[in-house]
Amino acid sequence: MDDIDAMFSDLLGEMDLLTQSLGVETLPPEPPSSSSKEMNFSMGFADMNVESLNELEENDLDALMADLMADLNDTEEKLGGQKEAEAPHTDLPPASHGFSFYPESSLSTPTSPERGPNTFSAPLADSPAPILSPPTLPQHAKLSMEEIEAQMKADKIKLALEKLKEAKVKKLVVKVVMHDGSSKTLMVDERQTVRDVLDNLFEKTHCDCNVDWSLSETNPELQLERGFEEHENLVDPLSAWTRDSENKVLFQERPDKYEVFKNPQNFYLWKKDKKTIKDMKDRDKELLVEENFCGTSIIVPDLEGVLYLREDGKKSWKQRLFLLRASGIYYVPKGKSKTSRDLVCFVQFDNVNVYYGKEFKNKYKAPTDFCFVLKHPQIQKESQYIKYLCCDDAWTMNLWVTGIRIAKYGKSLYENYKTSMKKAAITTAWTNRTAGTTSIPSTPSPTTKAKASGQANGHAPQPPAEPVAKVGNAPPPPPPMLPTQILPPPPPDPVLPPPPPPLANKKSPPATSVPRQLPSLPTSFPPSPTSMANLPPPPPSLSQDDSSESPPDFLPPPPPTLGFGPGAGSLPPPPPVSFLPPPPPDPGFPLPPPPPDPAFCPVTNRDSLPAPPPRQSNIGAGAPPPPPPPPSASAGLQSTPSVRRTGPPPPKRTTPPLAAPGGGDFMSELAKAMAKKRGNQ
Amino acid sequence: MAAWDLSVAVEDLGADAPPITVSVTSDLHIGGVILKLVEKSQVKRDWSDHALWWEQKQQWLLRTAWTLEKCGIQADAGLIFMPQHKPLRLGLPNGLNLRLRVCFSGTVFRTVLGICKMLNIRRPEELSLLRPVEEKKRKKVRDLSEELYDLTEVPLTSVSRPCLYNGMPAHFADSPKTEKVYKMLSVSQPAPAPEAIAKLYHPASVVDKAHIHSRWLDSSRSLMEQGVQENDRLWLRFKYYCFHDLEPKYDAVRLTQMYEQARWAILLEDIDCTEEEMLLFGAIQYHINKLSLSEPQTMTSSPAMDDLDSALQCLEVKLDGANSSPQDMLENLTAPELNDYLKIFRPKRLTLKGYKQYWFKFKDASISYYKSKEESLGEPIQQINLKGCEAAPDVNVAGQKFCIKLLIPAPEGMNEVYLRCENEEQYSSWMAACRLASKGKSLADSSFQSEVQSIRSFLAMQQTNPNTHTDDSMSINTHSLVSPRYSKKYKTKQLTPRILEAYQNVAQLSLTDALLRFLQIWQALPDFGISLVVVRFKGSRKDEVLGITPNRLIRIDLGVGEVVKTWRYNNMRQWNVNWDIRQVAIEFDGNVNIAFSCVTADCKIVHEFIGGYIFMSTRSREQSDTLNEELFHKLTGGHEAL
Repeated sequence: MDDIDAMFSDLLGEMDLLTQSLGVETLPPEPPSSSSKEMNFSMGFADMNVESLNELEENDLDALMADLMADLNDTEEKLGGQKEAEAPHTDLPPASHGFSFYPESSLSTPTSPERGPNTFSAPLADSPAPILSPPTLPQHAKLSMEEIEAQMKADKIKLALEKLKEAKVKKLVVKVVMHDGSSKTLMVDERQTVRDVLDNLFEKTHCDCNVDWSLSETNPELQLERGFEEHENLVDPLSAWTRDSENKVLFQERPDKYEVFKNPQNFYLWKKDKKTIKDMKDRDKELLVEENFCGTSIIVPDLEGVLYLREDGKKSWKQRLFLLRASGIYYVPKGKSKTSRDLVCFVQFDNVNVYYGKEFKNKYKAPTDFCFVLKHPQIQKESQYIKYLCCDDAWTMNLWVTGIRIAKYGKSLYENYKTSMKKAAITTAWTNRTAGTTSIPSTPSPTTKAKASGQANGHAPQPPAEPVAKVGNAPPPPPPMLPTQILPPPPPDPVLPPPPPPLANKKSPPATSVPRQLPSLPTSFPPSPTSMANLPPPPPSLSQDDSSESPPDFLPPPPPTLGFGPGAGSLPPPPPVSFLPPPPPDPGFPLPPPPPDPAFCPVTNRDSLPAPPPRQSNIGAGAPPPPPPPPSASAGLQSTPSVRRTGPPPPKRTTPPLAAPGGGDFMSELAKAMAKKRGNQ
Repeated sequence: MAAWDLSVAVEDLGADAPPITVSVTSDLHIGGVILKLVEKSQVKRDWSDHALWWEQKQQWLLRTAWTLEKCGIQADAGLIFMPQHKPLRLGLPNGLNLRLRVCFSGTVFRTVLGICKMLNIRRPEELSLLRPVEEKKRKKVRDLSEELYDLTEVPLTSVSRPCLYNGMPAHFADSPKTEKVYKMLSVSQPAPAPEAIAKLYHPASVVDKAHIHSRWLDSSRSLMEQGVQENDRLWLRFKYYCFHDLEPKYDAVRLTQMYEQARWAILLEDIDCTEEEMLLFGAIQYHINKLSLSEPQTMTSSPAMDDLDSALQCLEVKLDGANSSPQDMLENLTAPELNDYLKIFRPKRLTLKGYKQYWFKFKDASISYYKSKEESLGEPIQQINLKGCEAAPDVNVAGQKFCIKLLIPAPEGMNEVYLRCENEEQYSSWMAACRLASKGKSLADSSFQSEVQSIRSFLAMQQTNPNTHTDDSMSINTHSLVSPRYSKKYKTKQLTPRILEAYQNVAQLSLTDALLRFLQIWQALPDFGISLVVVRFKGSRKDEVLGITPNRLIRIDLGVGEVVKTWRYNNMRQWNVNWDIRQVAIEFDGNVNIAFSCVTADCKIVHEFIGGYIFMSTRSREQSDTLNEELFHKLTGGHEAL
């Protein structure tokens, strides 16, 4: 771990350089960007011949790069957003600004891009102060408006604040051990929750994303293991590790993680006979979860039982009758009753975490190997402040550990579960979709296609939010630039990594996950693109403002869209690497990738109309392509807020993907186009 | 048809006035009788609220279209003509008494609905009325001094949800007097004197607790029918322990009264809790008392908004001050610090016991110390990060000892460190800083000042000389925050620091959050929501206790107090009451049948509890706000309703 630290500081320096050079290419508008970008990446890596970096695998580096870029874009976007918010007040001519960021750079003279990268890389620079100083006053002298100066000042302050914040954000490079023993390295900043990191890993591993996947830490010295809860910030517990720690972060499936929500009766009705528990109806299980987790107060399972306690300092284990309450673990003192007033508090949960102990029979001469431990997260070595408890069997241990987690985390635990379920459902839907696409015979290059959509899916969680938002924030850019703008953050992944393993991984999951997801599929012909289109766009929560803003940006540039629109639609993109990546990031969130493009065409340019019909006949088994009438468009618009459950009727087949982004004016445009098309027929 | 004389007493004419006799025939309907009666009385007034009450049969004659014959009334019937709404003395969960005009003729369920509407309590189906526990014969003087808030003059609004005016329902905003009443309803009461707690009735045993539930009135009959007279005393309490849809924004009164009921349940040991829990309850009570006294308006403003406001203000100030250089700006942004000479003692390290003085600096979340102030620019002797630590007071005000005991987590375990301060001032700010740091907050946190303040007030509580109290609102006897058992067990000197310790976890809560937290902890108690009834199971020879909870029935052995068996409602097929032999029979899934007769309470009460809880559980599914009264009566009514 200590050399990782060193590595990281090296790496950061390198990254800094790299991003500066990269910044020039990715951010400013350069028409031939998509090809030049690739080149730049390889250049960038060739330059980096530092020893420490070589130790990292290429993939890791890519991943780190992606993270870094995402970070940069994040701040830059924030600043850009602020800028944007300010701009209207003063009616500033865009090019005049020293601190002009994204929006301006896309509009302005060729000189401004040169300035851009400096500011972008600033958040990572050690001292933000120097960047503050560049006074751009001479430029402003021309305009010499007090307002502008005030504006400038405010900008500076904001920038400074932003940078201060950014500079203070702690980042760790974390090596995560995968379930197959391999490892991945990723960068985690202190604001990221375990959920975020899991999403990140899902994206990178293409696993089936079920709710059991979890991150856990191991402490080999104490022989402990604990699954992180998804609302925790990952950096916090990791900061407690000592420098020479051999602790590891594992990415693995842990069935115990949310067992309490899948089989609540095991925990809440543990006293009942085994048969009743086993034969529990699903409805009753739901009811149990509802009763215990959805009320005004979380109910902790009322556990009580004899456990072995390791005596302080001594090597012996002593039996005691313990009780779990929401306020802590208690024991019944000798000769006293179990009534509340007689209980003695053994531990409260505010400052301790619960860990599973591994092979304590050997290590501490425990009666069994089913032990758990309560300790302050900072304690990493043997100490009298660690409390060791031992249970008769694994079942009891699980009962207690889960009970303690419920008492400690309360509602968060259930919230985490719900989020995981949502995530898993979406992913399964997408996996289905991928499977479906692959099976369409007319698709010439199924693998590429699968890969692309898989990425679109994988990208869903965080980083992609930025590009979309950015497009929304930026003033309508000149047409040819559009693809470039959308590109910046994702490329590192799509361009370089997608290696065979993830694909192989992906082939297996659908088999298990398809049946589970089936009920939610709205139509009877699941594997067709139509049904995918009916499915909600993967992360519906992804800032609706953005998605509603983005379509207008898409509308103006007919030539480029047309250029690769049909290509993506009929799916034989000749230069797959350079061209396929673009679609996923943008439509991936507001719209599922492939369908929209052809559908866009009718709107912008009716010449391309021939493209969609053949597809429809493919799917609809000879059904005449029903031209969705205007009302359906508006219906689609209504459905946008509650994307989830809307089961669109068959005639709308082609419209839903369009309806998804749901921009008002866009929709009316569409309606008009449709009406026109009808009239023509 | 032959006419005969019917004599009716008119209550409004006074008890001594002779009854009015009207000449009626058997096919005259009740409305006609009333009309004749009113004409004959020759009193001009609004009689619309009046109705006939049949004294012997203890029933109202409310169906005015029914004929006398149909009602079975003959000349010997003792009828009284009286208003349906009469004043009632109502004991609230917070211990105060209201005088309220309530309906004596409708079902108690309806009456409670009316009361709750008046008091602005949502979800009235969760409450009901019960007869008060007979108080031990006290001196007359006390009874007279009992304060009674009169609301009988307040007109009842007809709108379903009263509109708010000045943050209170319009009908309370009429006069300063009623405004005061509303404040009393919606703001929790100050802590009672410890002696008062000790004097109140404590249920000493399980059987005592069971007896309380025999006092509930029958929801499907009227007050008059149950022998409640004008100006009688009744208690209004939350009866069903499943609180649906608690929304602080609308539920000021409901929340406060719920808290009061919970508080008293804990103080009177109606519900058992552990010592740690009791101390936490005490700490939250202290916090709530303090907040209710100092800022009664907090109910309306949310803490998040406050934070946002102050943050925005802060930002504004910073932007305004932007004409200074950016460097200044940066300095302004850096966290404040504490600097002072303190004494430190580390039990592990030092062989020679004693505190050593150093120059201490508190910045962000860590303490650094230096040999002297002059050397404070250099490297500190040691820097201690307090994040995740435990900070406990070790204070003796009388002995002028102000120590902070820190348990600082380290990879090897917890390090014990004592900091000794010179005086209260110093102690308060350093202790506050340590507390914030332990939660990962810096001195810049907005809560710092309030933390300092609360530590000071706790110190004041420990002052041995009560005359030195300057700030009355803050001086609360900690014994009034815990049940008599703990009052007896601990002296103030011992109790106060422990409550203070618990207090640090709740000190940041807003009033609403504190109330909610209190309720949450209350609801998380294992014994929460169990209403006990002594029953005798069929085939059993001894009395046992049946616990009725929101989701299950519990059979409890009376002798040992152990749970013998539980049955969940969602496994329940049906339940029947044999009204003749007063036996409740319940069938569960899997051919499990139980039957019992009730010893302490009427079986109607048990029946109503079970039916009521099942009714409550249907609410969540039904999204509409309207109360399905019919269903309630169907589930709780018993044979009269069918």
